[in-house]
Amino acid sequence: MAEAPDQSRQSGKQGRFARFVLADHRYVLLGTSVVALLGMQLSSQPRSTLSFLAHAYALEVVLYYVLVAWLAVSVVAFVIKLVTRRRYATVSPFTRPKSRHVLRVGSYVVWAITLVLFVDRVVLGIAATWQLATTATSRPSDSFASALYMLWQGRQIFWTGITTTVELAVFGTIIAFFLALLLVFLRIQQVDRPDNDLVRFLKVVGSGFAKVYSAVVRGTPMMVQAGIIYFGGFGIMRGTGLSTTEINGIWSTFVAGLVTISLNSTAYMMEVLRGGIESVDEGQTEAARSLGLSQWQAMSKVVFPQGIKFAIPGLSNELVINIKDSSVLSVIGVFDLMFATTTVAGIYYRQTESYMIAAVCYLVLTMVATKLLSKFARHFDVKAGPVMGTSDAKVVKKPKKGKEA
Amino acid sequence: MNGDNSSSSPLIRVEGLRKSFGDHVVLRDIDFEVRPGEVVTIIGASGSGKSTLLRCINLLETPDAGHVWFHGDDLAAEHVDVNRLREKIGMVFQGFNLFNNMNVLDNCTLAPVTLRKMSKAEAEKVALEHLDSVGLSGFVRADVNTLSGGQKQRVAIARALCMQPDLMLFDEPTSALDPEIVGEVLEVMRALAAKGMTMVVVTHEMSFARNVSDEVVFMDQGVIAEKGAPEKMFTNPEMPRTREFLARYLA
Repeated sequence: MAEAPDQSRQSGKQGRFARFVLADHRYVLLGTSVVALLGMQLSSQPRSTLSFLAHAYALEVVLYYVLVAWLAVSVVAFVIKLVTRRRYATVSPFTRPKSRHVLRVGSYVVWAITLVLFVDRVVLGIAATWQLATTATSRPSDSFASALYMLWQGRQIFWTGITTTVELAVFGTIIAFFLALLLVFLRIQQVDRPDNDLVRFLKVVGSGFAKVYSAVVRGTPMMVQAGIIYFGGFGIMRGTGLSTTEINGIWSTFVAGLVTISLNSTAYMMEVLRGGIESVDEGQTEAARSLGLSQWQAMSKVVFPQGIKFAIPGLSNELVINIKDSSVLSVIGVFDLMFATTTVAGIYYRQTESYMIAAVCYLVLTMVATKLLSKFARHFDVKAGPVMGTSDAKVVKKPKKGKEA
Repeated sequence: MNGDNSSSSPLIRVEGLRKSFGDHVVLRDIDFEVRPGEVVTIIGASGSGKSTLLRCINLLETPDAGHVWFHGDDLAAEHVDVNRLREKIGMVFQGFNLFNNMNVLDNCTLAPVTLRKMSKAEAEKVALEHLDSVGLSGFVRADVNTLSGGQKQRVAIARALCMQPDLMLFDEPTSALDPEIVGEVLEVMRALAAKGMTMVVVTHEMSFARNVSDEVVFMDQGVIAEKGAPEKMFTNPEMPRTREFLARYLA
């Protein structure tokens, strides 16, 4: 409301919100008025069974009118501002140091009142609904209560689903990383002059295999791959004369799912690694080769250690993608979070609530993974890139320096 | 300055070298040789093929035709062990190309330890000598990214020397440097030449070409237009094209 937002440019370290609250004068009346309105809105909500303010009606009335008074003061200040305009800073009683101090203290009171109302209505409201949902004998009609009821009743199903999803994503990503290392090694082979004909042949075949593998795996949906791997593997095992129960013991849906996600992620991780390796300046290879190092020595001692750093953000991104993409494995019956979701939805005939629970679970999983990975990346002195992207995102290549003839 | 060696057999002999990038012919039938202890500078306009010629000598570019004789082996032949031959040919690049994932000392010891099967301590002893000779003994543990351009290039020279090469190739070693630090790199090169190192230098530093080299090669449009002793090349060149080029530099 008052002038001078220039104090707000103090430190870049604080967040925008913190700067606004601590340093911007507009916060005191304008910002807090919004908070006061929010508190009044909360106060007009129905009380839940756990509400403590239900036992102190008079107190709540007092709190409510404190908020109203705050709004009234703000309106008065605003009117003075409109009337006096430029002279506001010198004329208004609200800009004196003493009244500024009082207003600031008042603003904290407004926050405190709103916080009390928030705990009473929202936090205790959810707690009351949770209490109701977990003790209910049948599904409540209210949508939120019904979601909590399904979460409670289906907690074991969801827990199994979550652990399976995490196992698939974590083990799949780790296996895929090592497979991708092997595959990218094949992919980047180039015929070198000292190579004999056999080595040349193997290099061409290896690099060609990696290219075809990458094209096929990245060009088909993982859902289709899961079907081919699961049922194809099943068929092959049947050919060896095993009984169906024996096959189910070895080739479970989980194993097939893990194989699928590993093989799928391998192709993407290989491309990420290749992008990292290729973004290392060509001069590094040239310098190493000029000293007499072989192609492999130059790669392993000079180029790869630098390239892997470029690749770390993309590699860790794969874990986040795998947490989400493992959901398609439910198509072959892997008991992951998605399978749990459809199972619970089927039991209680409520689709939306069930999927909302799944969405929250996936979001929490990916956020935790992102947080851990960025810590991990910082450990390697790497800036984490955008982690929520898709695996189809293009690898950015640095422009090559023009060669001078 | 090592003219007394000029009667011995050449250390490197390039014969009928041809190279093109797509339709663009960069080198047409280059014949050229360097005797042990000789310092040859290659001058010429940008795009005349001088860098490509240098890069063909240690096979960083694969020639389309021709031979590069070095120690009795033809580097340009198929299946020849270029890795072994490159150990004896040091190269210094315009862009330094120091290994970014290592410190100064490790840059210098990587190749000797990997290829010469030297112990780390032995290689470090050799590296320290060479780093000292380029005036960088105080920077052995420094991260290469913290060095100035002149320091980087001197590390690059020391790195190449650690392999005890018979021949050093310099590809515009001072072109990426600020004018005031060009001198420190040229000084190191001059000292190296005085010690009798065989050098082929692609450069635009005409004073270096004139004062340090035994032979100056002028390249124009993929051919060696003229070569000769520096005095003759700079005072009385035969070809009009050479005169024209030098006039622009010496004006």
